[in-house]
Amino acid sequence: MTATTWHTHVRAAPDTVQQWWVLTTRLIVPSVKTGEVLSSIVAPAAFTASFYIPLKTVMMFSGNGFSSYAQYMMPLVILQAAAFTAISAAFRSATDSVAGLNRRFGAMPLRPLVPVAARMSANIFRLLISLAAAIVSGYVIGFRFRLDAAHTLGFLAFSLLIGIAFTLGADVIGTVSKSPEATTQALVLPPLIFGMLSTGLAPASQFPSWIQWFVRNQPVSQFAIVLRALAGDTAGNAGTISWSLVTPSLLWLAAILLISLPVAIRLSSRRA
Amino acid sequence: MSVAPSPTLTSTGGVVVEGIEKSFGDVHALRGVDFVAAPGEVLGILGPNGAGKTTMVNVLSTLITPDRGRAVVAGHDVVTDPAAVRKSIMLTGQYAALDDMLSGYENLVLFGRLMGLRKPAARARAKELIAEFDLERAANRRVGTYSGGMRRRIDIACGLVVRPDVVFLDEPTTGLDPRSRQGVWDLVRSFKNAGITTLLTTQYLEEADALSDQIIVIDHGVVIASGTADELKHRTGGSYCEVVPLDLEEMPAIVAALGSLLPAENLAALTPESDRITIPAPDGAKTLAEALRRLDDASVELVDIALRRPSLDDVFLQLTGHLPTTETAPEVVS
Repeated sequence: MTATTWHTHVRAAPDTVQQWWVLTTRLIVPSVKTGEVLSSIVAPAAFTASFYIPLKTVMMFSGNGFSSYAQYMMPLVILQAAAFTAISAAFRSATDSVAGLNRRFGAMPLRPLVPVAARMSANIFRLLISLAAAIVSGYVIGFRFRLDAAHTLGFLAFSLLIGIAFTLGADVIGTVSKSPEATTQALVLPPLIFGMLSTGLAPASQFPSWIQWFVRNQPVSQFAIVLRALAGDTAGNAGTISWSLVTPSLLWLAAILLISLPVAIRLSSRRA
Repeated sequence: MSVAPSPTLTSTGGVVVEGIEKSFGDVHALRGVDFVAAPGEVLGILGPNGAGKTTMVNVLSTLITPDRGRAVVAGHDVVTDPAAVRKSIMLTGQYAALDDMLSGYENLVLFGRLMGLRKPAARARAKELIAEFDLERAANRRVGTYSGGMRRRIDIACGLVVRPDVVFLDEPTTGLDPRSRQGVWDLVRSFKNAGITTLLTTQYLEEADALSDQIIVIDHGVVIASGTADELKHRTGGSYCEVVPLDLEEMPAIVAALGSLLPAENLAALTPESDRITIPAPDGAKTLAEALRRLDDASVELVDIALRRPSLDDVFLQLTGHLPTTETAPEVVS
């Protein structure tokens, strides 16, 4: 390294929008180049297949009031897709945190919220891919939107909102933990527990009575109920959208966001 | 903070620090630090782990706010105008902070664009720096696969996409092989030529000695000494001459031969276990030549005779009562 002609007279002239854009694309471009983004497509498809194929017959035999098992389990495919994206969000934020990038950005002319905004933009990009893959997978096994466009848009928007809440929470957890491996491993458990012990795959009545209160009220079940109502069903048991139906879900989402958002802002403004 | 800025604080493009204090709970990391680094000067900040070096760098690079005191970097106050400070500085930490998923080239483009370069300019600058930092062969490889020395080079290069006025190098050669370390040293010298002020924290005395115009020694959050390397060394008593006889039986003969060159206090310092005699060498090589002549006349056989200058290790030992590497207290980070 001779390092004699590296001199430049160009000075820093930071532009917030450009910074947000390059920090967003740095998270997207490599995953597209390496094909890692395919995991966002493969995961929902694999999830759909691995639950639909073995459970379809037994679940239709035991009965859940729906015209098809695909129609019944679709919300859980969506929620798993969101959870999967959240895990990779935590991985990325923990990686940045442990690499010292957050500290370095703190000593650079960046507005405090630009890095987290960029990470969330990249997370939303992945969410959109993952949710699209989930819906396509659902269509393959026979899921259909049975209601009007407003309900269908509601389904998509609500799915995205859930995904945003999950990924923001995961981003905060990753930033605090500073350990990509430990965080990713720890975050595998909640989707498994909450996914299995929910009404996403089987009605609450099929669980032992002592755990039914948990199965019925926990957030994944509440989200599944709202998504089913938004998708509708020809058998007429999907429920109808009402405040009493959506309020628990909205409260759960508000709780996640009300905890995560201030922490995310606080973590971003603390530069060291 | 209501005091009007003193002339030194506003007129300089370097770094001025006055009475900076910072505590983390009960830990007083900085307890009133003062120093000045003139524009274009290399200031070595020397101290053991836990002395407060990194906390000092964090304050000056606007990562943490001091509890008390004032610090001006490149003409901007770190508390009242941190945004302007951030535009003027480059910070590299003890570990290279890069995006491991990106290649070296992509990291350079990323940092170029973060500092406001348009895409073509950022790309051109990245190519320039890749060539200058001797990274052509690794340019398109993911940074995650780089060796320690290469990581350090690309880390520093990422800080040079635009021109900084003040550079903070926080233990830049820790864990590097000798060749990479030499590369970083060359770079620090080139900063000096470019008129960039460099603050270099290090635990390595020879590093501070080789690179710094001025050195401050920090221990337990205060500056315990400052000056040039020579000035600091002078404080331990200047040069001395060391005489090692082949046969220890000849020690009395040497004492006799040296005569007036051996002051009473050096004579008193000798013990039956001593295997060498130390005499002050105020005239440097002349004293050495005189000692050699006298010993030759007395036909004393020697293993070694040499002129020694106190190392910064000696300085450090004298100032703090311990060697810099023996302290193991963890560095205070926020």
